[in-house]
Amino acid sequence: MKKDAADASAIKKRSLFKTVLLCLPMMLLTFMMLTQGSIPTDGERLFALIATFLFFNILFFLMVRTGKTDRFRSILFITLAVCFVFSFISNLIAVRGSMALSRATMIEGGAPFCHLVIPMTIIPAALTKTIIFPGKILGRYSIAGMFVLWIGVSLALGRGLCSWFCFFGGLEDGFSRILKKPIIKNMNKKWTYLPYAVLLGIVLLSALTLSPTYCKWLCPFKAVTEYVEITSMQVLIQTIIFVSLFIGLVVVLPILTKRRTQCGLFCPLGAFQSVTNKTNVFEIRLDQDKCIKCNKCIKACPTFSIDEESLGRGRVKTSCTKCGKCVDACPQQALFYHVKGTPLVSKLDRYRLLFLYPAFLVLAIISSRFVQDAIVKTINLITTGTTI
Amino acid sequence: MKTLKGILGYSWAFLTIFIVLATFIGNDYFSGKLASATDIKISPWFSGGEIIKTIDHGAYKTYIHRPVFDALIGERRKGFIQLNWEPYAGLPPVVQETIDYNDDNRADFLIILNTQTGDTTLSANCSTVLSTERSYRLKKGWAVRVILKK
Repeated sequence: MKKDAADASAIKKRSLFKTVLLCLPMMLLTFMMLTQGSIPTDGERLFALIATFLFFNILFFLMVRTGKTDRFRSILFITLAVCFVFSFISNLIAVRGSMALSRATMIEGGAPFCHLVIPMTIIPAALTKTIIFPGKILGRYSIAGMFVLWIGVSLALGRGLCSWFCFFGGLEDGFSRILKKPIIKNMNKKWTYLPYAVLLGIVLLSALTLSPTYCKWLCPFKAVTEYVEITSMQVLIQTIIFVSLFIGLVVVLPILTKRRTQCGLFCPLGAFQSVTNKTNVFEIRLDQDKCIKCNKCIKACPTFSIDEESLGRGRVKTSCTKCGKCVDACPQQALFYHVKGTPLVSKLDRYRLLFLYPAFLVLAIISSRFVQDAIVKTINLITTGTTI
Repeated sequence: MKTLKGILGYSWAFLTIFIVLATFIGNDYFSGKLASATDIKISPWFSGGEIIKTIDHGAYKTYIHRPVFDALIGERRKGFIQLNWEPYAGLPPVVQETIDYNDDNRADFLIILNTQTGDTTLSANCSTVLSTERSYRLKKGWAVRVILKK
């Protein structure tokens, strides 16, 4: 058994030369995307650029060299979430003076649009040709810009968006890794249908009220981004709800269950995104001949996407976010990334690499601005006492 | 068939790298195209709706938006009309405006705004004008929403 596992891991261990060769395209692409054609002249920005470039490429090198995906993905994913929150809040404070979003700012279309709003906007957009969000159609943090990112990333990764793009997911991913073993081990399977119920509820309510119900009442991430200025009892109740949801779903439950509970049990975009997995070219598959039914993958999956039933069918559920945690956890390498249409159990490394390039590229590009910004602001904070 | 499926699978997988690059590099281009192709706008419940009339007072202007009653299908019974006064620099301490929002050549309401405090006074001349929401201090000037019913 141990020998089998050792043999299996040996398949993925690459020579240094081959690893460097495979990393070269990513080095070039990340360099191109980080610099965007110009290298900064001031010291802080240049330092941030070099540090970010090295950080990204070391992680990708380790992914390719060791054959482990989630171990290194999670480092960048958590970094993205932390840097996003730090960068976003400090920008809000610099521009608005606080994290509160006033009604005046909403009337002026000053609320940044995030991908979680997308499912709610589709029916009203189709029927009224308007977007039910107080943001801007074009420009920075714009609605059209976010739609393009969502379409592109969904085409490339399907629900992989939730583990390689979402700048909120890293928060719960981080909290879910605090304890070595979960305190809550079993959860009723019925809870995994909750995101679909939330999705249906908020889509219908948003269409009927022409307002983004999830943002107004349920989004836990308002606690770490921006919240509506408290000017009435209704807004106070909304604030209490989203702070409670943040503490419950993003902090406490991920710690206790070692799962991404907001993503797996609540997020309406996640539920919506599951549909894109059906049409996406990448998937996680199981070689049933190799599987020894140790259930390590079931315990590892952060979004409740594997159970005995799905293993019996040789695939994971459509809610899979392609984080690679189950692939890393499997001692037999029975679980693997697969390209649809290709033979099932050959060229596993090739399939994984074909997935890793677009997926890591998405994560690196979306992280690049926030990581660099956070480095510059941290330097400013240390040297001048302010983030500006 | 298996070979064809394999070729298609590999091609699609390889293409995703270019999709990702195009998505990020061409984001401004594609979002501009998306916005113009769909002609999508921000819901008037947030933006206030299109400006239908501008009154030039010399030092400042009054922008009157269209009455908003929009629903998913048809119209709602309750809506609002938004008025903006810009720019700050040209605004007198008190502005007052008589509005005929339904074009029946009769003043429907008179609104008075204190530009120092944002306090508003509304005198309704018809039963469809209900009240004012609070006033909003925007980047360029003041905005007030007057609640209407059908």
